[in-house]
Amino acid sequence: MAKAATLSQAEIEGFVERAKRGDRQAFGRLVDEYKDKIYSYVSRMLGDPYEAEDVTQEAFVRAYRSLPRFRGASSFHTWLYRIASNLAIDVVRRRKRNDVSAFSLDEPLESDDGEYEREIADDTGGPADATGTRETQVAVRRAIMDLPEKLRDVMILYELQGETYEDIAEILDVPLGTVKSRLFNARNQLKDRLQSLVEAGEIEVEQ
Amino acid sequence: MTCVEVREHLVVCWGDADELSAEVLAHLAECEDCRLEAILLRETRIMLRSLPDEQAPARLTEGVLVRLAAEESQPGLLARMAAWFVPEDRPAWTRAAAVGVALALAVAGGSVLYHGQQPAGNAPDTIVASTQAQLPGQAEYDELLLRHRALEASQALADDPGVSLVSYYR
Repeated sequence: MAKAATLSQAEIEGFVERAKRGDRQAFGRLVDEYKDKIYSYVSRMLGDPYEAEDVTQEAFVRAYRSLPRFRGASSFHTWLYRIASNLAIDVVRRRKRNDVSAFSLDEPLESDDGEYEREIADDTGGPADATGTRETQVAVRRAIMDLPEKLRDVMILYELQGETYEDIAEILDVPLGTVKSRLFNARNQLKDRLQSLVEAGEIEVEQ
Repeated sequence: MTCVEVREHLVVCWGDADELSAEVLAHLAECEDCRLEAILLRETRIMLRSLPDEQAPARLTEGVLVRLAAEESQPGLLARMAAWFVPEDRPAWTRAAAVGVALALAVAGGSVLYHGQQPAGNAPDTIVASTQAQLPGQAEYDELLLRHRALEASQALADDPGVSLVSYYR
């Protein structure tokens, strides 16, 4: 789950007010506070760390531009998520329009400077279980990326980002019931995809 | 309890036995397929939660601040128009639509102003004005008369679409 907030609610509100008046350093403090949360969400949505960095940066820039109209009806963090979600969905749809087929997490990334191996941080144990853990993580990420975008969004926000049903409903601008039904379908589909990987022998399940 | 009903309960609580009712647990004790389903769901959750946290690159904050400084010195016209009409937390298509509407209004407004400054398409006034200024020659007079009749005809057509141009001239 993304890093817990370190600023109090009162401090956040103070920085928001200062940023509204054009104080970029105050806004920088808010970026520091939320960048891991927003980046991890976008990265999980897009499956591409480089594109995630661009989208996260764009989300914060747009948030700053839009701050004068932020009335505080929702919390600052759900408002930020909402901006990031719209941008991430735009990228997903653009990929579909451009017919960019799904990539493998094992394939290298291409950039102007050449090719990079996709790196997945391993913070879950020593060398003895590192290979198995990494394979499982790659398989789970691939299964998440295979979910339809609306189900993926809810799955990531609830299961990985730790957001509440209510906050997700606000972020995605959908009714609470829709959040719950999408989460139900997402869990079912993810389980089915992982089951097929288990049956194919790509990952193991202890019974 | 049917397998379908049991599986709905399983999905809601990720197959966690602590959250299942006695009725569901009794079904699981007898149904191997549903038991396997519960195991798969529990494993799916464990695998999901094993994913590591992802941290933003350290340079991200600086990148945002540099962009803000650059954009504040020269914000794009369309970006300003879109931001004025629609908040940034709305989908991209709504902002694009807002820019489209703004441009359409600007074009329509300009068109109204432009036409408002044109002389009224009233043939008799034109003829009078022309004759007062300088008597036209026969050819010019014929042309003005023709234009006058054409304007009358188009007015009649507008008033009554049933009138054809041919029948009007008869």
